[in-house]
Parts: sequence; C-alpha cells; structure tokens
Amino acid sequence: MVKKMADFLFQLEVEEVPAFSVRPILQQVEARFREKLEESLLEFGKIETAATNRRFMVFISNLKETAAIKETTILGPAKNIALDSRGLPQVALQKFIETNKFRLADVVEIETPKGIYMGVIRIKGGEEAEEIFQLIIPEILSGLNLPKTMVWNESRVPFIRPIRNILVMFKNKLIDLEYAGVRSSQKVNGHLLLSFEYFLAGTYVEYMQGLLKNFVMLGEEERKQKILGEFKDIEEEFEVNVPVPDEMLEYYLYSNEYPVVFSGSFQNKYLSLPPEIITSFMKSEKKLLPVYNKDGKLKNMFAGVANIPDETKNVSRGFEKVIQATFEDAQFFWDMDLRDDFYSLRIHLKNVLFHKELGNYYEKSERLATLVEALANETNRQVLKDKLIKAAQNCKNDLITRMVREFPMMQGVMGGLYLMEKGEDQTIWKAIYGQYLPKGFSDELVDDPGAGLLSICDRIDNITGFLSKGIRQSGSKDPYGLRRDGNAVVKIIINFGFDFDLTRLIEKAAGLFLKDVTAQAQLVKQVQELFHIRIENCLRENLKIRYDAVSAVLQKDTLNIQELVLRARAVDQIAADASVSSLISLHKRLRNIIKKQEFLPFSEDLLQQQEEKVLFDVFKESKGGIEESIMQRDFLKAISSIMEMKPIIDLFFEKVLIMADDVQLKNNRIALLQRINEVLLKIADFSVIQESNTGDKDERNSQ
Amino acid sequence: MSIQNVILKLEEFWAERGCYIASGYDTEVGAGTMTPDTFFRVLGVSPWKVGYWQPSRRPDDGRYGQNPNRVQKHNQFQVILKPIPEDSQLLYLDSLIYLGVDIRSHDIRFDEDNWASPSLGAWGVGWQVMCDGLEITQFTYFQQAGGIELNPCSLEITYGIERLAMFLDNKSNLFELDWGNGVSYSQLKLEEERQFSIYNFEVASIDFLRETFQLYQREAENLVASNLIFPAFDYVLKCSHTFNILDARKAISVAERTTLMGIMRTLAGQIAHKYVELAHGEKNG
Repeated sequence: MVKKMADFLFQLEVEEVPAFSVRPILQQVEARFREKLEESLLEFGKIETAATNRRFMVFISNLKETAAIKETTILGPAKNIALDSRGLPQVALQKFIETNKFRLADVVEIETPKGIYMGVIRIKGGEEAEEIFQLIIPEILSGLNLPKTMVWNESRVPFIRPIRNILVMFKNKLIDLEYAGVRSSQKVNGHLLLSFEYFLAGTYVEYMQGLLKNFVMLGEEERKQKILGEFKDIEEEFEVNVPVPDEMLEYYLYSNEYPVVFSGSFQNKYLSLPPEIITSFMKSEKKLLPVYNKDGKLKNMFAGVANIPDETKNVSRGFEKVIQATFEDAQFFWDMDLRDDFYSLRIHLKNVLFHKELGNYYEKSERLATLVEALANETNRQVLKDKLIKAAQNCKNDLITRMVREFPMMQGVMGGLYLMEKGEDQTIWKAIYGQYLPKGFSDELVDDPGAGLLSICDRIDNITGFLSKGIRQSGSKDPYGLRRDGNAVVKIIINFGFDFDLTRLIEKAAGLFLKDVTAQAQLVKQVQELFHIRIENCLRENLKIRYDAVSAVLQKDTLNIQELVLRARAVDQIAADASVSSLISLHKRLRNIIKKQEFLPFSEDLLQQQEEKVLFDVFKESKGGIEESIMQRDFLKAISSIMEMKPIIDLFFEKVLIMADDVQLKNNRIALLQRINEVLLKIADFSVIQESNTGDKDERNSQ
Repeated sequence: MSIQNVILKLEEFWAERGCYIASGYDTEVGAGTMTPDTFFRVLGVSPWKVGYWQPSRRPDDGRYGQNPNRVQKHNQFQVILKPIPEDSQLLYLDSLIYLGVDIRSHDIRFDEDNWASPSLGAWGVGWQVMCDGLEITQFTYFQQAGGIELNPCSLEITYGIERLAMFLDNKSNLFELDWGNGVSYSQLKLEEERQFSIYNFEVASIDFLRETFQLYQREAENLVASNLIFPAFDYVLKCSHTFNILDARKAISVAERTTLMGIMRTLAGQIAHKYVELAHGEKNG
C-alpha cells in the first residue's frame, strides 16, 4: 500500500457492495478523477486507488494548490464585417454571439496577422483545489455507471448501496461537501464486526494507522497474498490441492476486509454424488472451494475465506453443518429427478421458452436434430448419426429437472449425468453433457466427438437464429453471447480436427429460420462474416499465429476451419525460417506479372523456349503431388514441393521474355504462371509474408 | 435457545426500539412481506415501525421432513422500519448481540441478494445475511411495492427463526430444536411436514387448484371494483398460495407462469394504488 504522504485523500464508505462490482467501480472512480482533474487544470502527480467491498479510496500526490490558468481565444468575424461604421453589431457578429452563447459585453477586438477581428478571450482555471474538489466529487460520483442502484434517504440520490461516510482531505484539511445527503466528515468506520467504533482521520497517517488498527486490509495485493498463502498452508497441512479459480478469488478479495482462510470436512457419504454437483453446490451456494487429494479425487473437505480470524473454530464448524444441509438438498434433487424417465420430459419443453422470437425449446431440439444429422454427414461420422439425433432431441430435457430449475448453470451437465446414471450409451450422454462446452476458449472439452458435433449445432442454431431476427452483437455488447458461440465452434473444430466447410451447415440452419431464398442467402452471408472475424481473431489471439501468416491464409475464402488452421500453422512455421524469403520473392514476382489479369487459356503447343517447356513439364509432374499433399493436409510437404520447383521457375524468369511482342506467346506464358499461382494460393498468399529481418513494408502493401 | 425464546427476544428487542408488535397474518403467505402490515404500510408517506412473527408457506421447499434445514412451512420474524434508519446495519447487529450471538467469532456477512416478488410488483436491493454460511436474515431496502415507487423507502429485516435457533442452539438439524419448555420441533412438525410434502408434490388436485385460482381471482377482481381492498388482498394471497402448490406439482408451464404472475401483479398493483388513493383521501378529509 501507499507508504508516502498523499496530498489528497478520499474515502467513500458504502454498505457492502456486491463483490464483483467493486473492481469495475474502482476503475471508473480512478478514470473519472483523472479526467475531471485534467479538465479543471489542477496539476497532480500520481493517482492511486484501493477498495474493499465497504470503501473506495483515492490518493493523489503532488497536487497543486490552485489550478493552472489557460487563456483561449475564440475568434469571431473580422471587425469590418462585425461592426458597421457607427460601431453597431451586424448580423455576422450577432450570429457568433448566439451560437456560442456569449454576451456582447465580452466581445473584444483581437489583433491577428490577418487584421483585426472580433472575438472572446476566455480565461479558464485558477480555482482553489478545495473548490475544484467540491465541484468534481459529486460529478464523479453521479457519473458512475453502476449495475443496479437504489435510494435510501430523502436525497433520493441513487447509488449501488447506501453511502455512509465521505472523507475528503486536502493537505490534512477536511473539504466540506455533501453528496446523497451525506456530509463529508473525518469519520471512518473500521471492520464491520471487529471494530465497533469509528475513528477520526485528521491526517493521512492517522487514516492508514486507523484502518490497520481497525482490521481493514486496504490493499488488494496484501489481501491476495494472505488468502493464497493460507490456502497453500492448507494444501501443505493436509497434503491436498485447493485450486482457486479466478472468479472465486475475486469474490474472496472483494467480500472481506480482513480475510482469513478456514477449512472443514463433511461426511464421506456425500462423495457418492457426482463430483460436478458437489463442486458447484459448494462454490455457488456456499462460496467454498472443493479440496482434492493428490490423486485428483475429491476429498471430503472444503476450504473458504471468512472475514474474521477463526480461532474458536466457530466458523469452520458452522460451515460443516451448513454444507451437510446443502448436500442433503443436492441429494434430494438428484433422487427426485432420477425417479422420472428422462426421455419423457421432452414433451414439457414445449412450455419452456428459448427466446420470444425463436420459439420454445422443443422447437429448438427439433432443429438441433436436423442440424446434427447434416453435420454427421458432413464430417463423415454417419455411424454416430442415430445416437446424435436422439441426443439432440433430448439435450434440453434437463431444463425440466428440479436440479436445473434450481441451478440453471448445471444445464447440459445434469442431462448427461442423469443419463449416465441410468446406463445410457456414452455417445448420447456425453453429447448432452458437453453441449455447452467450451465456455471460454481455454476450457477443456468433453473427450467425445459427438459432444463437439452437438455443441457446434447448438451454437450455429443460436448464431443463425438470432441474426435471422436482426439481433446481433455490436461493439462491446454481445447480449446473447454470439461471439462466444463463434469462438467455441472454432475451438471445437480444431480440438477434434473436424475437416469440413461450415457453409453448408449454416445454409441448412438458415433454411430452418427463413423461407425466402434471397433472405436465406443474406443470412448465410452474415453468419459467414461473423465466422471470418472469429477465425481471424482465434488464429491471432488464441493460437498466437503471426499476423502476416494469418493474412496469408485468409486470402482464400473458406469456412473449412480445420484446413485454415493447419495452413496457418504451416505458414507460421516456415515464415520463421530463413528460406522463406525465396518463396516470398517468388510469389511476389508471380503476382506482379499476373496482376489483375483475367484467367487466360493455356496451350502446351504454344510453348517455345526450352526453359518454359521444362517448367511446364516439372509443374505438370509436381502438381499432382502438391495437390495430394494438400488433400492429406500436409501443407509443409506441399510447400517444400513448391520450393523444389523454385530453380526452374527462376530460370524461366531469367531466360524467357514473358512480355513478348507476340500477344499469343505473352498470354500463354502468363497463363502458365497463373496456373502455378493457383496452386500456391491453395496454401497461402506468400507474397504478404513479411521477412523478419528486412520487412519491406512498401512492397508488401503494394500487393 | 428455543424457538419461542428467539421470538420473544426479537419481540422484546424491536419493541424497545419503537416497533409495534403485531400478530402474524391469518391467511397462508409465502413470506412476512406479503401481509398487510408490510404490503400496505410501506406505501405512502406515514412512518411505520412494526415487528411480527409470521409462519410462512413455501410448498416447493418441502422435503418430507427429511432435510435438516428445509421445510414447507417455516417461521419468519419480520421487521419494517420506515423511513430507513441511518445506522440500519448496526441496529441489526445489535439485535444479533441481544440474541446472544458473539459477532466477533462468527463469519457474519452481507451477501448480495436483491429481493423481488414479481407477483406483488415489489422489489428491493440488499443482502442475505450469512452466518458461517447459514442464511439467517434477508435484509432489504424496499424500492417498490405494488408497482409504486416508494418514498420514503422502508427497511425490511426478515429473520429466519428456525435458522437462528439452530445457530444459537448449535444444532445441525432443525427437527432437533426445542420449540419451548420441552416441546420439540419434530413432535410438532415432523408428521405435518411429511404429509404436506406428499400433498404438495404428489397428491394435490391440479384441476381443483386451477379452478380455485380462477375463483379467487374473480373474487379479488370484484372486491377491487368495490374498493374493498383489504378483502381483495386476502384473495390475492390465496391466489398466490394456490399458485405455489401448482408450481410444486410441476403443473405450471413457463407461458402459464407469466400469465398467472401477471394476473396477481395486476391485482396487487390495483390494490396498492387504491390504498394510496384512499389513505390520501382520508388525510384530506
């Protein structure tokens, strides 16, 4: 935490802010302080911020006492146009005053190199720091973008939770202001449970010491180290693993002012519930972490973070009782749901709305069955077809179960678990289990291609369906997670190596939503565009493929994602190699000659010179092999076959005059090069690759 | 501590802080919020301080008496403070101390939980208060009721009496609780829980309940038309309880849920508006 003196100290004390809102609010507070100070011309050094769920703090160092002064001149019309001979304002000047909302009295003559003009000189700044803070703090607070607000007192000013104290100190002096009916004061409350009385912070040092004494750990990093360190202690003491997922750490960090890790155990019998249920009940219901033995199996233990030291073991004993009741609930849902025939639940999906414009889940399940059948054919998985159709038809049935009604985030997983428990075929239960995976690009998938295929269909149905109703993602907004769905499709395809072009599946889906053929074609185009962006993004961001290699392979319009990825990886690999330069220059040369020529007819009979005959012979001979390698998706081999032709092509360039006077000869030579280019482009446009050492940008851009 | 002592202590504590101690309402309700002492009194401008013990029915929460802390009929202690006091959290912590909670050795946290009752057109912002992971209280700053923006707002504190007693008595199963003077919770409630769970989940006649829902609805509508809003409100409560049993029976589709909720919300809204009008009229007169 900040050790040195701060010129300015601000603390907003609020009743418990929801943990996941603290960080976003703090970031806004900092940004808006910076913005407002810059606007007001008050110079400052460093802004530092910190927050817990009960307070937001801002420290600013090296603050000037008064704001800088800035003069701005706003020029109006020239004097001779603005005023008549008697010095009375004319239309031009009146307009200038009106549009800028100036007063006539403020207009003065201003000398400029072009002559005398009428205008206004504005002087901004110069205010005392205190005045500035009195003005900007309410602006900062009222301008925050808060997830859900409330009112609590007569001021009716909305905030995320009631504001209880506002401390604003400038050079150890309290700045007087009021916001939301709360007057600033030196009052600071400590920890809600461990410190009963407030203290007065007269100086920065008193503030920091007061917090320390009153059990408030101000710094995020400090709390984080304590939490993670104490989890580590538990791992060592019990010889276990306690993984701390990011979102749980965020919760612990911003729901405790004095975090203390504790652990406890539960009866072994609950371990017979599926681990997915045990862990999600622990995390979502009780904010506890599951504990694993070194062999990766769940242990009958939990760990969590309390807001007080647990010397009495009251906390861990209390949680032990509570977790038992929670597992009893889980057991109840599990047992009750297993009483039902899972497949007979499907009919009830007619009553569950998927989206008001896209019908109910029964209809969705029918579409998924159609799509998964088509996809099984496309990917040569006909053997899975019947099972996947059954899975698709019933993959949403678990929406009817008690468990999912109570815990919607268990969707999919529960359907799979119920069918597994009942001994259903594993292609079917795994497909249902894994239909929502991956959630993020780095998530694990279910180890069964059927799950991948069903998941692709579900997401294509989402994307195509929402776009068909004009519901789309824009900028940072993606309310239906269409981008995430797109990324997931890419991830699944790469993971299972499904080698097929997505276009036909998209066409099939479009046909399920729209009748009109033209509209269908338009929709298909929209979905394709979404995927082009997703693919480019995934290649760069997730697969870390070089920029130029990505551009090189995306020259060819295709939605065969697997092929694209393999080409990109091959190009990425050779682009790092020194020998790539000859390939780049070759392709550049080819493209320079071909330019935008239409595709010309080629005739072997028109070949005249030895070098062009040899080139044609070699090309004819290698072409089959290259295309074979491409079919085999061995792009490195295809590239090396092309490289083998390089000397022959170079010789051709050297000895043969392509731009011959005889148009027929010239066109035939270009035609030959066009055919070679065509084969190259099946792999990539190497001319856009940038050599790492030279980086000849101009030439690259001219392509 | 026995159940009855928890109730007595809470009554004492809140009486000392200026609350009028009411009796619980005598029609089935899902929560203390649904009684006239809360629903009507949070409307309008008059200050209001009340505390009362309210048995509450949640058919879907029944567990045949087999779950250690879930029952289809539990007991709440409801407090309404209007306007909201400035030190509301501390006041609440004081009540825990008064009950005998050592607040420095338990993980008492205010965990985000925004309460909403779509059928009453009511919502608020606040927390569930967790004590070592056990939800003991719902703490809500009411913002709207019957579709009406509240001004001033009210603070609602709803204690779960069984949960508190379990915590105070160090029990992990509510059926082991002492209701008072040796009468045990299981003696009073176990068989009742078992029977109501069978009724709510397996036996309740769906056709009968659908029909009664409509009868109650019609009665409520007629009463609203006659400006008899207190009786009308009773019939909305009866609709709500009937709905809850149908829901426990899994007899309500999503579309139907929206419709039935809409019916109740409309009625509650009309009743709330009439209440405000009538109260306003009285003042003028």
